[in-house]
Amino acid sequence: MAKAGDLLQGTLEMLILKALSLNPLHGYGILIRIQQLSGERLQIQQGSLYPALYRMEARGLIVPEWGESENNRKAKFYRLTPAGKKQLKQETAAWSEFSAAIAGILDASEAPS
Amino acid sequence: MKWRRRFEEDMDAELRFHIDAYAAELMRSGLSPEEAQRRARLEFGSVEARKDECREAWGLRFIDELCADLRLTARLLRRSPGFALIAILSLGLGTGANTAIFGVLDSVMLRSLPVRDPNQLVFLHVAGTAGRDGPPYPLFQLIRDQAKSFESVAAFSPSAIELRTSQGRESVRGLWVSGNFHETLGVRPILGRTLHASDDPAAGQAPDGAVVVISDAFWRQRFGGDPAIVGRSVEVSGRGATIIGVIPMRMMSLEPGSAVDLAAPMALSDPAKMQDRTSLWLGVVARLNPRIRPEQALAETRSLFAGYMAETRVSDPIRQLLFQRAEMTPAGQGLRGLRRQFEKPLVVLTVLAGLLLLAACVNVSSLLLARATSRQTEFAVRLAIGASRARLVRQSLTEAFVLAALGMGLGCLVARTGQDALTMFLAQSGDPIVLDLSLNWRTFLYSGVLTALVTLAMGLLPALRVHGQSPDAALRGARGTAGRVSIRLGRGLVTLQVALSMVLLCGAGLFVATLRALSAADLGFTQEGLMTMEVTPERDWFGTERWLQAQAEILDRVGRIPQVRAAAWATMVPMTGRDRGAVLDVPGYRPTSETDKHIHLQAVSPEYFETAGVPLLWGRRFSARDNGSAPKAAILNDTAARFYFGRQSAIGRKIRFTNYAAADLEYEVVGIVKDSKHNNPREAAVRFVYLPITQSVDRVNRLTLLVRCDGDAAPLAGPVSEQVREARGGLLVAKVATMETLVSRTVAKERLMASLATAFGIAALVLACIGLYGIVAYSVSRRTREIGIRVALGASTGRVVGMIMNEAIVLCAIGVAAGLPAAYLLARLSRSLLYGVEGLSPLAAGVAAGLLLACGVLAAWAPSRRAISLEPLSALRRE
Repeated sequence: MAKAGDLLQGTLEMLILKALSLNPLHGYGILIRIQQLSGERLQIQQGSLYPALYRMEARGLIVPEWGESENNRKAKFYRLTPAGKKQLKQETAAWSEFSAAIAGILDASEAPS
Repeated sequence: MKWRRRFEEDMDAELRFHIDAYAAELMRSGLSPEEAQRRARLEFGSVEARKDECREAWGLRFIDELCADLRLTARLLRRSPGFALIAILSLGLGTGANTAIFGVLDSVMLRSLPVRDPNQLVFLHVAGTAGRDGPPYPLFQLIRDQAKSFESVAAFSPSAIELRTSQGRESVRGLWVSGNFHETLGVRPILGRTLHASDDPAAGQAPDGAVVVISDAFWRQRFGGDPAIVGRSVEVSGRGATIIGVIPMRMMSLEPGSAVDLAAPMALSDPAKMQDRTSLWLGVVARLNPRIRPEQALAETRSLFAGYMAETRVSDPIRQLLFQRAEMTPAGQGLRGLRRQFEKPLVVLTVLAGLLLLAACVNVSSLLLARATSRQTEFAVRLAIGASRARLVRQSLTEAFVLAALGMGLGCLVARTGQDALTMFLAQSGDPIVLDLSLNWRTFLYSGVLTALVTLAMGLLPALRVHGQSPDAALRGARGTAGRVSIRLGRGLVTLQVALSMVLLCGAGLFVATLRALSAADLGFTQEGLMTMEVTPERDWFGTERWLQAQAEILDRVGRIPQVRAAAWATMVPMTGRDRGAVLDVPGYRPTSETDKHIHLQAVSPEYFETAGVPLLWGRRFSARDNGSAPKAAILNDTAARFYFGRQSAIGRKIRFTNYAAADLEYEVVGIVKDSKHNNPREAAVRFVYLPITQSVDRVNRLTLLVRCDGDAAPLAGPVSEQVREARGGLLVAKVATMETLVSRTVAKERLMASLATAFGIAALVLACIGLYGIVAYSVSRRTREIGIRVALGASTGRVVGMIMNEAIVLCAIGVAAGLPAAYLLARLSRSLLYGVEGLSPLAAGVAAGLLLACGVLAAWAPSRRAISLEPLSALRRE
């Protein structure tokens, strides 16, 4: 019974995990990193980021810690837990399979010219 | 709380940081600070909505909503204090009654003994066709010494024990025990030590001499809680002994609820009984060896029993009756005395209390329904702006839960008082009852389940009903369908309530009638104005001439007190539970079974029948001439005479006692008296033979003095006991009570049922009245326009009133009719508790129905008056 929003939510979580896999970031930093990694092709809706972060924290995939940002303001940084790393691997594999399947269908439907 | 505040602050700081960071970036691309902040906020979206989603991710939303519901409920209840009061009172009453009765039920029937590993304890009996009884002492010794299946085997025997302290002589509630009794049970003392096995053999050879143990209640009551109690010297049954320890009252005996003051080694009691191989006066409790299965233990006991019986001489009939086999029963819950007596009444009371609680729930439910219906608009608005139906149902359930919880809180207070009253009631049937009423997990579980059930019962129905409506109809103000459906439901609930009240009222009628029939029953003697007391002389006086002389002298002295009309002695009196049996051989009568030869025996002084008010039917009473040297005379009661002699006259016939140690004793029947009830007013008459004290079959020890007075006997207790004590010092006077008190004790059970059933009935009546009032008032308020139209068109006030009354009476009538079969069923189920009533009589049902109909009229009174005082115009304008 997953709505379209749910699918997006799952993908967003995967992207957040990937963003954090390199080093701990605060919420705004995660947003910037995802946009960077996608080559500015992906725009994340700002508001939906934080509910996702809180959900992931409640599930134990990431863990927060307060630190100082670049301009010395207090900010909440997030870090991957071992469970989070495992989840990232699983989701990446699942996504690859999924996109391969879709690609297979799309390729097959091209009529021979 | 603090955690929550921290959470909120952190979340706020985090989101603000994000917006500021984004604003800073926008500023870098050239916007002014204000414009940057505005753009940043806009693109972020609604901060509050995001915060809500974050809170939901952490499961905080549920808690927030719960708190909001509780606050709303508190506000609503504060705004309608009348409703809150009625609801909480009815629920408090219902739950309190249930908890109280369950607590007593648990204590009497469900609790295990407060000893070590009660499930490993068993009772040992000998049994036959006549039933089970404790084994004789030598058999107990055999099992104790030889059985391997038991860790230990102990014996006990409740008895009144004579105690002499520095304050004088008294008769205390005692328990003769074998030395290892407390060790077998695993009981810990409060002070000093318990009895040990080494205290057992002929006391005096024991290391500390003869020792006894007292209960803590007795220690506080008689010795003022003296800390130096251990080592105190007393005299027990004429022998010196030392108090060696104090034990909690609950652990003194194996009968839950019985009060025991003193436990003493058996060796201090009558040694003759300990040698008798067939005398059944003991109870035996054994602790199973954990490595042995119970079946093995029983088999070993049976083989030891067989060996014992092979070496014991006992007549064949007696062997059949009592010595056929050995039996083992679980002892974890103690002896069944109290339980047997009160099992049925307590179960019936639980059912009645359950019905009362149900009536209270129905009452509150219909009130909640009415309130919910009037909040239609509020619900519609909430639904329209996005609340889910589940959310609204949850709010209604929260309201019901708060009421249930408050009701249970009140119920706990009611339960405490109720339990004290119940215990007092149970106590009236004899010695005071000591019940362990402390809370345990069972009572908590029961209360918890009760609260949950009550909440659901009350809240679910209104909640589901009302929230099934569509919001737009409600917002438009259409009061059609919703109101009509809930009024039908409300009527159904009230009818149910009236039916429940009918059952409770009929029940009350039945038990009150039973009590009255018992009180009016013909006892065969006159109970008014009769004083009784037990008098025990010194041990060395038993059966002596001195005692006989003292008896005559006391009668003389007592007779000279102004209000005294007659006085007499007897070995026992009715209504005390004491009994004495004998075995008769009647020439010319052929018994068909062993029990035909049994008869109850009493030795009396010549004035007995006159004093007790027992009429003489034929022949003569005893006189002073029936003394030790005269021919032996006996008097039979009517049942005995007709049983043994049929239609022929019993006067002049001979009877012979065959069960006494002395040579066969032959008596001549000289008189026949009317039957009197012996144990309680319910029982049928039994066969009785009376002998003169001077010609008694065996040694006469303790006697009861009966004194008939003019008017009330109670004030004479003091003067009579004084005369007794003055006649001879050293006489022990105990158990002073009027016969009326003794009789009323035997009907304690019936009195309990009658009082509680009446209380429940009245409570149910009040609830029914409230419920009827609620539904009629609501109905009238909905029909305001209709009434206005009717009055405008010319209806008289009488017709309007009649219309409203009609509604109430019809509801009552249907409820009464619905409750009648259930009431009839209740009467059938409680048949064994009733006396003098054969199920539900038309009179009782009629009275109950009449009361309920009167209730209906009363309930409709106020609404109908309000209806006729309505101005037609304003009524028509009302929506």
